[in-house]
Amino acid sequence: MDQNKKENINLNPVGKSVPRIDGKGLVTGQTKFTYDMQLPNMLVGKMLRSPHPHARILNIDTSKAQKLPGVKAVITAKDTHMIKFGSNEYFFPHTVDQLALEDVKVRYIGDELGAVAAVDEETALKALELIDVEYEVLPPVFDPLEAMKPGAPSIHDHCRNNIGVILPVNMGNPDRALKEADYVREDVFYSQSAAHACMETHVCIGQWESFSNKITLWISHQAPFKVREALAKCLKMDLNDIRVIKMASGGGFGGKLEMLPMDFSSCLLSKKAGGFPVKMCYNREEEFCFSRRKHNMIYKLKSGVKKDGTIVAITGEVIADGGAYCSYGPTVLAAATMRIFIVYKIQHIRISGYRVYTNNPISGAIRGFGGVQSGFSIESHMDLLAEGIGMDPKDFRLKNITEPNMITANKMIISSNGLKECIVKAAEASDWDKKRGQCRHLARGIGMAIAADVMGSKMYKAHESAGSIIKMEEDGSVYLFTGAADTGQGSNTVLSQIAAHELGISFQRIRCKAADTEITPFDTGSFASRVTFISGNATLLAAKDAKEQILKVVSQEFKLDHDDLDIKAEKVINKKNQSIILSFDKALDLCYSFNYGRQIIGRGSYNPTTTPIDFRTGEGNVSGSYSFEAQIAEVEVNTDTGAIKLLNLWDAHDVGKAINPSSVESQIEGSLAMGIGYTFFEDLDMKNGRVVNPNFAKYKIPRSVHMPPLHTILIETNDPHGPFGAKGMGEAALLPTAAAIANAIDDAAGIRLKELPFTPEKVLKALKEKNENK
Amino acid sequence: MPNITISVNNQNYELNLNGEETLLEVLREHLHLTGTKSACHEAECGACTVLLNGKSVLACITLACDVAGQDITTIEGLAKGEDLHPIQDAFLEKGAVQCGFCMPGMILASKSLLDRNPEPSREEIKTALNGNICRCAGYTKIFEAVEHAAKKIKNQPPQQ
Repeated sequence: MDQNKKENINLNPVGKSVPRIDGKGLVTGQTKFTYDMQLPNMLVGKMLRSPHPHARILNIDTSKAQKLPGVKAVITAKDTHMIKFGSNEYFFPHTVDQLALEDVKVRYIGDELGAVAAVDEETALKALELIDVEYEVLPPVFDPLEAMKPGAPSIHDHCRNNIGVILPVNMGNPDRALKEADYVREDVFYSQSAAHACMETHVCIGQWESFSNKITLWISHQAPFKVREALAKCLKMDLNDIRVIKMASGGGFGGKLEMLPMDFSSCLLSKKAGGFPVKMCYNREEEFCFSRRKHNMIYKLKSGVKKDGTIVAITGEVIADGGAYCSYGPTVLAAATMRIFIVYKIQHIRISGYRVYTNNPISGAIRGFGGVQSGFSIESHMDLLAEGIGMDPKDFRLKNITEPNMITANKMIISSNGLKECIVKAAEASDWDKKRGQCRHLARGIGMAIAADVMGSKMYKAHESAGSIIKMEEDGSVYLFTGAADTGQGSNTVLSQIAAHELGISFQRIRCKAADTEITPFDTGSFASRVTFISGNATLLAAKDAKEQILKVVSQEFKLDHDDLDIKAEKVINKKNQSIILSFDKALDLCYSFNYGRQIIGRGSYNPTTTPIDFRTGEGNVSGSYSFEAQIAEVEVNTDTGAIKLLNLWDAHDVGKAINPSSVESQIEGSLAMGIGYTFFEDLDMKNGRVVNPNFAKYKIPRSVHMPPLHTILIETNDPHGPFGAKGMGEAALLPTAAAIANAIDDAAGIRLKELPFTPEKVLKALKEKNENK
Repeated sequence: MPNITISVNNQNYELNLNGEETLLEVLREHLHLTGTKSACHEAECGACTVLLNGKSVLACITLACDVAGQDITTIEGLAKGEDLHPIQDAFLEKGAVQCGFCMPGMILASKSLLDRNPEPSREEIKTALNGNICRCAGYTKIFEAVEHAAKKIKNQPPQQ
């Protein structure tokens, strides 16, 4: 192989900030995204959508559209098998509630009931106008509290009072425990809806191959194997009839984690059009209105503490606006109610979660699942509890946090836990002790919030395994095949680092082929911060297996015990005396020699050790390990204008081991940016079921001028279960940001904001109320 | 019959346009130069930033026929063969790239800045890149990459 690749050191890459394996293609514009793809005879597909938030479909007449020159296919529910799809089908089969194309009812503005494919977009749009749909308009309901009332319009037949999911967390005896508290308080927090706003919108190209009855779908997605599974189920095909190819993907953040009707439709339209590929690509407005969104939530909390700061009990109620279909509703609700166990040692908890159907656009998974809304609510509440007993919020947290090697009240198994160190380090770096409570005369304040996160969660299957294959070519070049879907986070790079490090070879030797369901092993997808941990472990196993195969050949040839051998720095060595036996290249020559002819193909399959969750109580160990962090915000409040200036943001993060420190920092910084946006201005504004700010002019995204100095502190606790000790950390830094800022604003100005986002109007209103109450 | 000549990355293209096509449409659909992206089509995201006579413009709101005969540089025109432009190198070295969708626009906006201001302050970088949305990476590493690129360009041997 190329001498440069071997000589370029990059040995032992774990722990080094090696540049992205796919970086050159991205900075030169050569990498092809699905959005960039053009295929011969490609048609343009468009969805037929309901203009009503709630209506019965009486009749659909597509005859005029079909006659329009240039139209190649028109489909409605009749062209489907009417099999429903969902996202939490394994644990919550009753939440599988959406059809590829609806046949009886539409439940939000934009609900899909048909699709067309034509030679160009103009013709496709004209064809949509020619489809006559007769509706019986039904009364809609948009407010989840209204939707829960008896007599409210019923959106789905299968549930009462529109409550699609109920998830209680129930441990100990909180009512009795509250009576023993020295201080009890109640708070209600409100979190708004928000959008993923990936730079690349939802896009796919479906192509049916008539001679083999096979479908290929090119797609921008986080979970291509889930796409394959849903297509197979709903189109009644075998898994190997369907090839899903994840192209370079312009962001996901949870928005590209499940099926949209357009994914099914592009395949069905291609079939009806005789095999021409059909591209469906959302424009920005469609992306804001018809993809998925964050659940807006009402979070009520009532908790009690002892004078010494011990939390004795927490009770609460969460009401989440689910919109028209269930999507990842159960997981979002679980994340909003159960994460508290990983953070705080509490024996008595009762939090009831309700996800309510409304005629709003569909709520679903978004980075952090429900942890952002609950993080804001619980961590704001914690500061108020500390204040109530006159305790420093840092000391209050240190008194109550979880520890290493413990089992929580709900039987979560925590191994490594750097939460205490995170709090201490963040406080040191931010000069907490000098600043807290000291700068109100300058309208400056500092606030803290903490969080913990899973790395993996069983969502749509009984298992959540990942597979990896390492294939070594005769010239010493290496392929890593992984099912993991890199949507920009850099998992192809990190997995290649893990493989190269374990194999003892240069990172440069590896090419990573990922997330093509026909070529790569299965992987559940990029979600729940699972890829470094779960797919990383699978890759580590594959590398160990490949190495073992090489060492067996060497031990046979040199008559050595293969347990004494290892590969380090591109050389096979004898561990006993550190002597070099032969180079990695020579060892591979030996494997592929006349005498041996052994192909080196390593395989790894990993499924984390977890226990089933009892969804009546919240008991069970959901993740193979857990990550932790502490965040501190420093703000300045302009008491004249209500503007908040974010001066600094510190994030101390227990990442287990940073496989690629630069990449880890980038994940944290990206999460903080999203957290800042959500705290101050991101707000998907819905009026009567319609998104009224579906563009970047009205829906504000954090831009460069919004970024304060970010200070990331990586804490390495070497997790016993993680690959080289690594943990997942793609989402956690977003969880505490809003609360850290809210707590800092309170420290700066003595006002408590309980409703996101913190606009200048809300700040001024709070300041006015404070002055009136003086 | 071609009615317009568009010059992209020092290459002339003869095209027959009806006059309504945006530069974005011509680059991506007529010339198949898909390095230039767009995430909004309404001058809000900056992903379609290209250089017109060295200055950054948004291709989604530029009519192709208005820029006939002028020098257009897209991301495909920045590297020289296998040698990346120092800004591209700097973005990789500083880990400023996540999904990469905003990168072509971000890198060309950075080039436009560094060409007119070779040693920008952090605040000047923030202002210059404020029209370019990055949803993944939180901007900080992008600022560091632009500062790093400025140093690289300054230390480059003078070109013959």
